[in-house]
Amino acid sequence: MRTLVVGAGISGLFIAYELVQHGLRDVTVVDASYPGSGATLRNLGCFRTSFTSPEHVVLLKESIRRWLQLKDRLDFEITQKGYLWVARRPETLEGFKKLVEFHHQFGVPTRILSLDEVKEVEPRLNTKIVAGAMFDPTAGKMPIIENFVKLYIEVKKLGVKVVPYTKVTKLVSRGSKIAAAETSRGTIEADVFVVAAAGDSRDIIATAGVDVPIVDIPRHPYVTEPYAKTINPALIIDWDTPGSPHMTQTKLGSFILARDLEDVPRAPLHSERVDAIPHILKPLKELLPFLSRVNIVRYWMGYYDMTPDHHPIYGPVAPYENLYIAAGFSGHGMMMAPVTGKLIASWILDGKPYIDIASNLTLERFRVGRLVKELAVIG
Amino acid sequence: MGEAVKKLDNVVIICRCNDVTVNDIKKAIEMGIDDFELLRKYLRLGFGPCQGRSCIVLAARIFARASGKKIDEVLSNYRVRPPIVPVSARYFTRGAEA
Ligand SMILES: Cc1cc2nc3c(=O)[nH]c(=O)nc-3n(C[C@H](O)[C@H](O)[C@H](O)COP(=O)(O)OP(=O)(O)OC[C@H]3O[C@@H](n4cnc5c(N)ncnc54)[C@H](O)[C@@H]3O)c2cc1C
Repeated sequence: MRTLVVGAGISGLFIAYELVQHGLRDVTVVDASYPGSGATLRNLGCFRTSFTSPEHVVLLKESIRRWLQLKDRLDFEITQKGYLWVARRPETLEGFKKLVEFHHQFGVPTRILSLDEVKEVEPRLNTKIVAGAMFDPTAGKMPIIENFVKLYIEVKKLGVKVVPYTKVTKLVSRGSKIAAAETSRGTIEADVFVVAAAGDSRDIIATAGVDVPIVDIPRHPYVTEPYAKTINPALIIDWDTPGSPHMTQTKLGSFILARDLEDVPRAPLHSERVDAIPHILKPLKELLPFLSRVNIVRYWMGYYDMTPDHHPIYGPVAPYENLYIAAGFSGHGMMMAPVTGKLIASWILDGKPYIDIASNLTLERFRVGRLVKELAVIG
Repeated sequence: MGEAVKKLDNVVIICRCNDVTVNDIKKAIEMGIDDFELLRKYLRLGFGPCQGRSCIVLAARIFARASGKKIDEVLSNYRVRPPIVPVSARYFTRGAEA
């Protein structure tokens, strides 16, 4: 069986990896640019289980388990130092308490921290303006570039053909099947097609007459010069400020600072915004005053491929029998990538996902109006 | 190549911001990194305060020679990211609104 995966980001490579683990021999991954050139090499490398829907919590638990399982086999670097969700307002802390109860139903050991405990976890935090925090000890971070390169080299060793600089321009259908993909460098025939091309999946699948509701929203992270280890948690999130400003410190010491800002959907990747820096810095500096003294060394843009319910789209693309999608990760596709790979492999090989709850995430949900509900909405 | 040159590869620094040597680049290529942007990111070339001013062209030349690609092709995806020099956070937060 010949499988063609469109998109050599972290999702496409994990899908190829799992297909080969399941015994498939003829797996090709094409990418319009170089491997990882999409959101994958632009992301913060952080992961967590502390989500607000059963779908996310169940799938992230499994995905983190799989990351840690592959850590030794593929020599990944991963650390688990937790996320600190900071509540400035007492009402938000009350919301966190409900969320913790929700997490405990799924065996996720989040907990509420008093101000003293917050100080212990992160002594540099300005607790004068904080009501408390939620801590997710399952969360962590990884140097994404190193881990992605290791995965890339591994899938090639396993015999996967990774073909860069080859853009899919059209899916050619024949009856109820996709017969081939036209690309910038010729036509590729296959038996199974998987589109894992983030926001561009929409354009690709539109050529087969199917609408996929994903829209790319620009993100603007900033990175500082490296400093000695300063903060303890993998990520600190200012949950009470709109766009939840957040920061992480990389293995080499740089701080990455980011915040979800209103922006023009699909704005070109080089629509730099200088105003993003003060918007991101100001609230974070209130929480961590040392940030007023750091030097900013670089800035880049990347897209969150957003869906209407902020959950990914997985599985078969009707009416086609041999077309699958894995896209719309809405900012969480790196942490989900191992479970993405296993889910798509099980859909292709067994006709259904190996974790039941994933069937809530098919493209079909938008047609029938069954969007994913977040059970624990906070803030 | 002579032993003396090989030894030099270990000490000739290509990127002064992140201490990357000629040997680091050759090893990464041998490991299977077959795209210059991937190599550059893996070795953090251009990530330091100088933004790649001295390392990028030198590294691209080594990569071009090893891969048989033209240097223009090797560098076709490279883009300088702002700011050109590191800027103090203080500059951005004075009088800014959230
Ligand atoms: C600033 C930022 C921070 C983030 N932080 C995190 C985080 O901390 N944790 C986390 O889990 N996630 C994070 N994310 C999200 C994460 O990066 C993405 O969800 C993830 O990388 C998605 O991987 P992917 O392989 O699905 O998509 P991509 O990496 O975008 O890959 C899609 C690929 O498809 C290719 N492609 C597109 N069109 C075509 C075509 N027509 N033909 C062939 N190929 C095509 C592209 O070139 C690209 O390489 C962040 C994202 C951003 C932007």
